[in-house]
Amino acid sequence: MRKIGFYLVLISIWAAASSAGIWESYEFPSPWAVLDTLWNGLTDGSFLIGMSVSLKRIAIGYGLSVILGTLLGMVIGSVKLLDETLGSFIQGLQALPSICWLPLAVVWFGLNEGAILFVVIMGAVLAVAIATDAGIKNVSPIYIRAARNMGVHGVNLYRRVILPAAFPSIVTGMKLGWSFAWRALMAGELLFVGLGLGHLLMVGRDLNDMSQVVAVMLIIVAIGMLADRLLFARLETRIRARWGLAV
Amino acid sequence: MKIRMKDVSKSFRQNGVVLEALIDVSLEVQPGEFVCLVGASGCGKSTLLNLVAGLEMPTSGDIVVDGRPVEGPGLDRIMIFQESALFPWLDVVRNVEFGLKGLGLTAKEQRERATYYLNMVHLSKFHDSFVHQLSGGMKQRVAIARALSIEPKVLLMDEPFAALDAQTRDVLHQELQQIWGRTKKTVLFVTHNVREAACLATRVVLLSSRPGRVLKEFRLDYSYPRHIEDPHIAEAAGQINNDLKSEVEKAMREEMGVEWRLAKDRVLPGSDFDMGGGI
Repeated sequence: MRKIGFYLVLISIWAAASSAGIWESYEFPSPWAVLDTLWNGLTDGSFLIGMSVSLKRIAIGYGLSVILGTLLGMVIGSVKLLDETLGSFIQGLQALPSICWLPLAVVWFGLNEGAILFVVIMGAVLAVAIATDAGIKNVSPIYIRAARNMGVHGVNLYRRVILPAAFPSIVTGMKLGWSFAWRALMAGELLFVGLGLGHLLMVGRDLNDMSQVVAVMLIIVAIGMLADRLLFARLETRIRARWGLAV
Repeated sequence: MKIRMKDVSKSFRQNGVVLEALIDVSLEVQPGEFVCLVGASGCGKSTLLNLVAGLEMPTSGDIVVDGRPVEGPGLDRIMIFQESALFPWLDVVRNVEFGLKGLGLTAKEQRERATYYLNMVHLSKFHDSFVHQLSGGMKQRVAIARALSIEPKVLLMDEPFAALDAQTRDVLHQELQQIWGRTKKTVLFVTHNVREAACLATRVVLLSSRPGRVLKEFRLDYSYPRHIEDPHIAEAAGQINNDLKSEVEKAMREEMGVEWRLAKDRVLPGSDFDMGGGI
């Protein structure tokens, strides 16, 4: 109830501000104009195309990031030499916003999907790797001893004990990685690659159609939040219930 | 299954200093025996258990189980730890099944066997619970069921009841005696609780303080089931305790410096000692 009330107040302030006539309507669209654009964009399919292109990119880029990041984190978490060398390098790279890779990516891959996937992967893979590494280092040694005692070793030790034990930490990394990947993708699409939601933002700007810009922004927020709610929130609740952590 | 340790020594390197944990321990455990290892803290009794389990290797000496030298962990020797070491990402029955994956059983056989041993420790109702929903005593029961379900010949128990409250511990002592009687396992049980040792063991082995060596053995020929409150158990425990005390004193002195001593046979100063001088 409080939340609904808050959003009603927010929208009415927005409506009042836009109808006060301080800014031109193309500079500051009213809620109704945005709603109208949103509806039109969704029904005529132009937003849907943008959404499907962006979602496909994020699915591939993020999916690869999770796999690569987990593997990378496992290697760093298990091999001391790599931890001291590669581990610190990755910690350093994490300070770099992944969109900064774009110029290099364009030179390496050309102006195409490859470049944008690279930027997305650089956004998410490090977060996942760092969290996996931390998770593996924090696995209680007693689990490993108990498993070895029951004849479990090698790959099975990773599959059956170390990864499940590190999983809560890995999920935290995946969640962080998701938001990095989504931001990186939007930035990349905004800057150059055709179609996609970021591109629709630029089209809106080029046409001076701020209601389109705001409508697409709403879609971007909605997708980001939905993934968080549907995927990560559920996973986290399940883990908390299983491990008996505080809710 | 017979366990034979011959001149087993183990040393660790800690911050560049070599620590002798065990020196020339020789010990034989006959099949079906229940042997308790007792000693001052840090005497290497848990280390000895780890060596038999194959989780660590001795610096010198041999450990032979059932005629074969121990070269690593084996499903014939299963350890039960002080912290239950159950996996929180699995429910109770899957925790018990964990050790059964390598035995070549079908899924159905695994489930049947896990259920059988969960019944044995009276936890059939908690089949599908998660680990965090169990009390400390129940966790140790699951750990016992998990170890038993692998059907090892030797159970290695590393202070399994040390973290439990006295009432729960009493009940588990009774049940462990029953299970031991029923399954005829060879048990090697580490504890610092002399009463517990006297209550459970057919033989108590006293280890000296660091570096650990076998100091004395006590045979306990009382019939089972035993209870920790039985007078002859208490008496036996008293004898073992006398010997242990001087070892504890030695260990404390090593830790705290030579001037430390446990004042013996001295009356503590109390109000009944000054003949009512304070009136």
